[in-house]
Amino acid sequence: MSTAPSQDASVATPTVLHQAVDTAGLKEKVSLKNLEFFYGDSRALKGINLPLYANKTTAFIGPSGCGKSTLLRVLNRMYDLYPGQRATGQVLFDGENLLDASVDINLLRARIGMVFQKPTPFPMSIYENIAFGIRLYEKLPRAEIDARVETALRRAALWDEVKDKLGSSGLGLSGGQQQRLCIARTVAVKPEVILFDEPCSALDPISTAKIEELIDELKQDYTIVIVTHNMQQAARVSDFTAFMYLGELIEFGPTATLFTTPRDKRTQAYITGRFG
Amino acid sequence: MAMNALYARRRVSDRIATGLAYAAAAFGLGWLVLILGVLIYQGIGGLSLEVFTQNTPPPGSAGGLLNAIVGSIAMTVLAILIGTPIGVLAGTYLAEYGRHDRLAMIVRFINDILLSAPSVVVGLFVYEVLVAPMGHFSGYAGSVALAVIVIPVVVRTTEDMLRLVPDTLREAAASIGLPRSKMIMRIAYRAARAGIITGILLAVARISGETAPLLFTALNNQFFSLNMNAPMPSLPVVIFQFALSPYEEWQKLAWTGALLITATVLALSIFARSLTARK
Amino acid sequence: MGARVSEVAIKETSLPVGHSASRIAVLRRLRASDVSFKFLTRAAAIAVLVLLSGTLLSLVIGSVPAFRAFGFSFVTTEVWNPVTEQFGALAPIYGTLVTSFIAMLIAVPIGIMIAFFLTELCPKFLRRPIAIAIELLAGIPSIIYGIWGLFVFAPFVQKHIQPALIDTFDGWPVLGSLFEGPPYGIGMLTAGFILAIMVLPFVTAISRDVFDAVPAVLKEATYGLGCTTWEVFKFVILPYTRVGVIGGVMLGLGRALGETMAVTFVIGNAHTVSASILAPGTTISASIANEFTEAVGDLYTSSLIALGLILFFITFIVLAAARYMLLRIEQKGR
Repeated sequence: MSTAPSQDASVATPTVLHQAVDTAGLKEKVSLKNLEFFYGDSRALKGINLPLYANKTTAFIGPSGCGKSTLLRVLNRMYDLYPGQRATGQVLFDGENLLDASVDINLLRARIGMVFQKPTPFPMSIYENIAFGIRLYEKLPRAEIDARVETALRRAALWDEVKDKLGSSGLGLSGGQQQRLCIARTVAVKPEVILFDEPCSALDPISTAKIEELIDELKQDYTIVIVTHNMQQAARVSDFTAFMYLGELIEFGPTATLFTTPRDKRTQAYITGRFG
Repeated sequence: MAMNALYARRRVSDRIATGLAYAAAAFGLGWLVLILGVLIYQGIGGLSLEVFTQNTPPPGSAGGLLNAIVGSIAMTVLAILIGTPIGVLAGTYLAEYGRHDRLAMIVRFINDILLSAPSVVVGLFVYEVLVAPMGHFSGYAGSVALAVIVIPVVVRTTEDMLRLVPDTLREAAASIGLPRSKMIMRIAYRAARAGIITGILLAVARISGETAPLLFTALNNQFFSLNMNAPMPSLPVVIFQFALSPYEEWQKLAWTGALLITATVLALSIFARSLTARK
Repeated sequence: MGARVSEVAIKETSLPVGHSASRIAVLRRLRASDVSFKFLTRAAAIAVLVLLSGTLLSLVIGSVPAFRAFGFSFVTTEVWNPVTEQFGALAPIYGTLVTSFIAMLIAVPIGIMIAFFLTELCPKFLRRPIAIAIELLAGIPSIIYGIWGLFVFAPFVQKHIQPALIDTFDGWPVLGSLFEGPPYGIGMLTAGFILAIMVLPFVTAISRDVFDAVPAVLKEATYGLGCTTWEVFKFVILPYTRVGVIGGVMLGLGRALGETMAVTFVIGNAHTVSASILAPGTTISASIANEFTEAVGDLYTSSLIALGLILFFITFIVLAAARYMLLRIEQKGR
């Protein structure tokens, strides 16, 4: 990765790292190469080149409509559900292009999990919410599933609050608890990457704080990508940040340096709240 | 490995279920094609000018369906004339005055039940209330029976359509002092007009094919008659009688009559749908 | 509209001061029309209630002679003899329940699968046409199903289906008696099947509506775990919409119970209770439709009306339960 002055972004040239990154000890878990995304005929993502480092948290920030959620949803091929949406380019996940048609989408999604903006507990008991995912991929005796459920709930810092009501419906929990349930559910399946799509935007500040703490811990075992419109959150939670604008990747670098000394003037404008 | 076997099984289940879903859709569509196909094939064979110019024949001879068609039209028109005002007014009450009213809640619930109630029971009701006291079957009784079926349909669509009219329109009217009744009549009705007409058309489509309520109210009449105070012929009842008979001529007419009814019903439904779609 | 409204407004404000009496008269008139209009609509709404209670009342009054003569055993007696004036409702009730049961057994799974197809599997451009086609099935008047059943379906069943069923289950312990007897073509199975095709569109339409209302986020979350389309449907969509689907099913059941013309042509009109579903039978509505105009004697007529009352009760309960369930969904917003 070399550094170079920012270029005119009207042409789909590969964006280069704008910040110096000490790549010693860093492994690229996911590499996006020249990714383009289309809603029908309109191009929503232009020439994205981006590394996502293993066991680190990368944040996507940018004003509304910049394409950060779109980019996130490419990573687990969620757009496949909607005909008319397509992606070109390469997204190398451990070296293999996950955009390839031969990739098994269900297995991919077992390795790359997602937590959504709105908490989405399944219409089942709390226990089942988690066991359901486990049973999809492993045939385990009841006792082991119990253990895995407990582990997942502990990981999500939810165990103490729900251990006495595992049989009750997931919908009976508060918003913050539901979101942590969703995180537990995602974690239970043992993914390698977890994608967070504005996970706290529907939650109160206390729940938000808890979840940010969680994300920080999860980083030890998983590669995290988080989309957020809250810059302070990005600054708190992430190791690397990518700033996007109008479907392009404007700047990418370690969070600390991007926020204190941004190279591109658009990045600067956004960070200082001049627009957004 | 265990995971692969499990996943393979899941994939197979998905494939099977998907296949079943496609099969189900084909099943549903297949019957539609089969029924309509036979109907058209059998009915068209008997379609001729005589059908529309001659009355129903005695067994064994040729004829037409003129008296039955006219009778059906007459009773349908009268049924709509009776049922529409009641239906529209009741639907208006539910939409405009009955947002949180207890009476409205009950009426709405009851109306929805009447919507799917067995039409044969409607026939019995009108028999008890009109035919028995009058001492004879009549076109009037038949029309009333059909009106009883029309009312719930019109109530429902009227209420639904009026509910769609935005409250901002109502508030604008109120703010210039327009009284409630005038607001409803001049503004709300006009805004919901297409939908209400659609409801009436759907009601017509619904009663066009109804047989059971006519069986013991208007009975039947093998001659041409415009006397509503006497038994009245109708297409559905004629079809009923002719189809169950052993006479080939009658059976052919039954198919033709069935084709006519179906064509009318489908045309009305499509027309009604296009009215609301164009909005 | 604009001209009319301002017309009223102008009339109000441009009245000369000295004529306030006429303005009061105008306002009074407007008030009166308001009150009378509201009264009118209220009366119409009450008319709906009157219809229902009137129906119930007339049925009760009409069936009094029958119940007085037979008592409660009316419901449990199979005999139906106009000559000796012995009437029992068992055969019609049995036939109504059996044909409706057969109809639901076929229509519910298939209807739900069609709704699954329409919401999750069908290519977008085909969705509307196929949905409309299925609704056309609902629009076809029931008498058409009746004659189609009589002239096309029954002979087919008689020639191919029934002999096959009889042969296959010949001698089997329980199923054998379900499928025994001469192949008439008509009978309870045929009637039940035709009812199924009639009820199918209702189950499909309501299921489709509730399936569509499942939030996309929830489905995405399930896909996000790596679930297949069928799993998303089975584990999330169906449980989520459970109450709505049941409401739709009960609505279909209410229809099936009361259906007359589709059944009358092919049920065989025999007042018998048989174990075999290939046998002819009768339903409440078919009995009434076939026999009412020829019923001689008060007891005969009254017995038929009593049948109507029983049907009214059965369908009322089913439909009320269905509406109640669907109401709960609309209120919950789920």
